[in-house]
Amino acid sequence: MRVRTRTWFGFVVLASLLFLAASRVALFGPLEDGALTVAAPIESGLRNATRPVAEFINNITDINLLSNENQALRDENERLIAENARLSEAEQELQQLQGFMNLRGVAEGETFIRADVFAVEPSNSQQLIAIDRGSAHGIRQEMLVLTQQGSVVGTISRVLEHAAWVTLVTDQTSAIGALIQESRAQGVVVGSPDGTLTMDLVRETADIKAGDLVLTSGLSGQHPPNEVIGEVVDIQRTPQQLFQEVRVEPLADLSRLETVLVLSSFVPLDTGSP
Amino acid sequence: MNYAIGLLVVLVAVIAQIAIMPAFNVFGVQPNFVIVLLVGWMAARGRREALVLIPIAGFVHGLLDSQPLGLAMLALAPLTLMTDIRELRLVDSDLLPAIVLTVAATVVYESTIMVSLSMRGEPIAWLASVTSVLVPAAIANALLLIPVYGLIRIASLDLRERPALR
Repeated sequence: MRVRTRTWFGFVVLASLLFLAASRVALFGPLEDGALTVAAPIESGLRNATRPVAEFINNITDINLLSNENQALRDENERLIAENARLSEAEQELQQLQGFMNLRGVAEGETFIRADVFAVEPSNSQQLIAIDRGSAHGIRQEMLVLTQQGSVVGTISRVLEHAAWVTLVTDQTSAIGALIQESRAQGVVVGSPDGTLTMDLVRETADIKAGDLVLTSGLSGQHPPNEVIGEVVDIQRTPQQLFQEVRVEPLADLSRLETVLVLSSFVPLDTGSP
Repeated sequence: MNYAIGLLVVLVAVIAQIAIMPAFNVFGVQPNFVIVLLVGWMAARGRREALVLIPIAGFVHGLLDSQPLGLAMLALAPLTLMTDIRELRLVDSDLLPAIVLTVAATVVYESTIMVSLSMRGEPIAWLASVTSVLVPAAIANALLLIPVYGLIRIASLDLRERPALR
């Protein structure tokens, strides 16, 4: 190996470490904020322009998946129609529809910051999105981010002045205290490297079935309670295990987010500031 | 080479990586256009230009991604050592070593991000990451390299034929 290459490698590594050290004290915060602010409209334009092409290609490559999904949706539709027919009272029917249609009201005192998604973390090891609102707009670390329909997207993990990064609920570093709406069984919803959601630490005796809604429990003080995370799609029970493993599907397609709402009225326990 | 062209290509590649590539899902992962471009550039145009472009790509990447500034540069740094492998000419082809280098660079890049996360106290599912991130990403990038390498080769011929651009 050439000495010059090794010297250059050493130089690049040294420069990287210096940048890393500087970023720990947010020395380059304004530079990163400026770069993201300048790049945001370009990235948004590119995302919008290429979305139809990407969807077309993905649909071709995912043809088997789509076929299976279509069948699953037909089955689900049939089940819902049968279930709906059994509902006799108008109030019960309304509640059921609210759950399945993912409608969410706005409680008194709740405030939101609307933000557009303009970028996605390029590494496959993490699942984050960038939004065009930052500390200058009132965004704070650990705030909960929702879709426009009201289901959980993730939490704010990094805040710049005019932009912020959101760690998606499906990211492998994400963990949210949760409960099953119907049985009130509690657990923790965690992400994974392949983007699937699992609810862990659910008592083996808890009565859970596919289609149950999973909500935030609010027990940790990090997230507000009763926000919809997703619905149960599969349950793994092993007789010898203390806990059952519940697979959860997010209600929203987190790979196609365009606009999100940041719940700004809830102050996570640790941050202390609104 | 006109380094301005290289710089422009790298800048476009980083923006494309962050804005466009997440929409293209191959084997459950997004291909890393920046790694592929750097390896393709190295294979088609030689180590000298690649050595300059690698840290620049890392720096610009770091400015626009969610990781701390410097991490992308660190994750791409081993590519500088890999430039020597290309010069060894172990086989009579530029493309085959480039495919191997793409796989190696992808594994190093994603592993560096995961090690960094782990050092920051984040839980990492290592085994699941190998099967659902490292292996698919390496294959996706290797597949993307083939057309990218071809395009760089064609563009390089054009540049040589037009001295005014050199």
